[in-house]
Amino acid sequence: MVAIETRALTKKFNGFAAVDSIDLKIKKGELFALLGPNGAGKTTTISMLSTLLKPTSGKAIVNGYDVVKEAAKVRQSIGIVFQDPSLDDQLTAMENLDIHGRLYHMPGDERRNRIKEVLEMVDLADRADSIVRTFSGGMRRRLEIARGLMHSPEVLFLDEPTLGLDPQTRRHIWDYIKKLNREGVTVLLTTHYMEEADTLASRVVIIDKGRIVAEGAPASLKDSIGGDVIKISCTKPEELKKAMEKCECDITSEPRITDEGLVINVKKAEEIIPKIFDISSKHGIEVKSITYKEPSLEDVFLHYTGRAYREEEGSEKDRLKMRMKVMRGRR
Amino acid sequence: MIRDIYAIYLREMIRLKRSKVRLVTTIVMPLLWLGIIGNAFNSAFQTSMKIDFISFLTPGIMVMTMAFTGTISGITTVFDREFGFLKEMLVAPVKRESVLIGKMLGGVTQSIFQGIVILILGLFMGMKFSNSPIMAISGMLLTMFLVSMAFVSLGLAVASKMSSMEGFQMVMNFLIQPMVFLSGAFYPVKTLPSWLKLGVKLNPLTYGVDAMRYFSIRMNEFSIWLDLSVLAIFSILLIAIGSYAFRKS
Repeated sequence: MVAIETRALTKKFNGFAAVDSIDLKIKKGELFALLGPNGAGKTTTISMLSTLLKPTSGKAIVNGYDVVKEAAKVRQSIGIVFQDPSLDDQLTAMENLDIHGRLYHMPGDERRNRIKEVLEMVDLADRADSIVRTFSGGMRRRLEIARGLMHSPEVLFLDEPTLGLDPQTRRHIWDYIKKLNREGVTVLLTTHYMEEADTLASRVVIIDKGRIVAEGAPASLKDSIGGDVIKISCTKPEELKKAMEKCECDITSEPRITDEGLVINVKKAEEIIPKIFDISSKHGIEVKSITYKEPSLEDVFLHYTGRAYREEEGSEKDRLKMRMKVMRGRR
Repeated sequence: MIRDIYAIYLREMIRLKRSKVRLVTTIVMPLLWLGIIGNAFNSAFQTSMKIDFISFLTPGIMVMTMAFTGTISGITTVFDREFGFLKEMLVAPVKRESVLIGKMLGGVTQSIFQGIVILILGLFMGMKFSNSPIMAISGMLLTMFLVSMAFVSLGLAVASKMSSMEGFQMVMNFLIQPMVFLSGAFYPVKTLPSWLKLGVKLNPLTYGVDAMRYFSIRMNEFSIWLDLSVLAIFSILLIAIGSYAFRKS
């Protein structure tokens, strides 16, 4: 059964394509991650799938309903946790959930039972009557997840669920997400944290500049670029690249020159590294350092886009965003 | 539809209950007006008219308070947008109109509630109805509803054009204050110089004050039908502008 399907989904802002002809197919019960740097089009995609934005062209079906023609039905069947906080911080946790239940037309006793359930699920049952203003960032996030689940949606969207949270809280949130996925909820999450997609998702789509660049399970994506990844920092990378291409080694894909030096994917790094030293000394190239490791999703991103993946760029912006949120919260 | 409106309205009411400080601060200014200006002018006023100044001033202060709180509560939609709760409402299976009506009714309730608080304070300070209390109160409630509706919508319209709370003070100082000063809330309109009288006549709030005085102390400058028609047209116009602006934002 398919939970979400898009065909050539596109959103343009003033002619600029933020999401450029994306095809997705997400099965019921999957834990699916949209991975990409900031500005890749992740939030725009989620906004279209949750009916907040109208697609410029293309089609999107969520739980069997068209997001444009049957927006109300789509809304009733999905839960969403936005990237930016969206709780009413003057209300208690219970009141936030109660208003949510009313907006989704849940009868009174069903509402009361479900509030208990979801609060217990995110370990906030003892704070039900506390005003949200007194909650920490992690508690707010958990409450938002509980609210997203309140009306028992078939699909839950999570837009950067652990943005700005400390590592420990992040791991907690991951546990909740895994737990609710085990209970049968289809989850589509966006993230720019490689580690998050790697540990959580059963399937990942990597998007960059509004386009899908790679798709698959994290393990098979890593396998697809083959064996180990060697990074060489040296004086004449161009020359070494040419030399390596000619050599008789098990290179699984074309060597690339990146900001971090020459990158080569090989079957077995241990066997190739001595050869690299031979070749470079033959050509008078000075090797400054060689590192190798099993590929990460970072290398997958690098492999498919030719650019190094930088979380720092994003996190600088995020830190600014968080600071502004804190200031606004104080007012 | 009704249930959706109620859910939005319920949230507004919970917030109102929580913001006791705001309720108290918005009552302080009218209280100063009634207590100090009201009493200070009482003796001078009595010589020229048969009605005492507290009875004359209370309906005016009620309208002033409602104009202020109505506008402020309309503007709270900016808070919703800034704190993201608006998204929660927009992604729910609820019509945009329900969100709008729920918020408007919330603002109107708050505004009327404050008007009633001022009325009770005024009665304690010696205001007297010249009509039967039932006639006075029901007529005043109708007027209060129209005035509140107009200014909540005005707040909504302004809020959807505003991206921060900085423009807020400007709206209050350059739009609402002059309207209040030109409405005859604090003085009788009859004896004004003609240039000032023109400004007063062009101000819709004038008719709100006039209707309030008609129902409470049987003192009116214009016919009550003119008052109510102007108020109704002004409200409907602002509701239209306010809802258009809200839907676009």
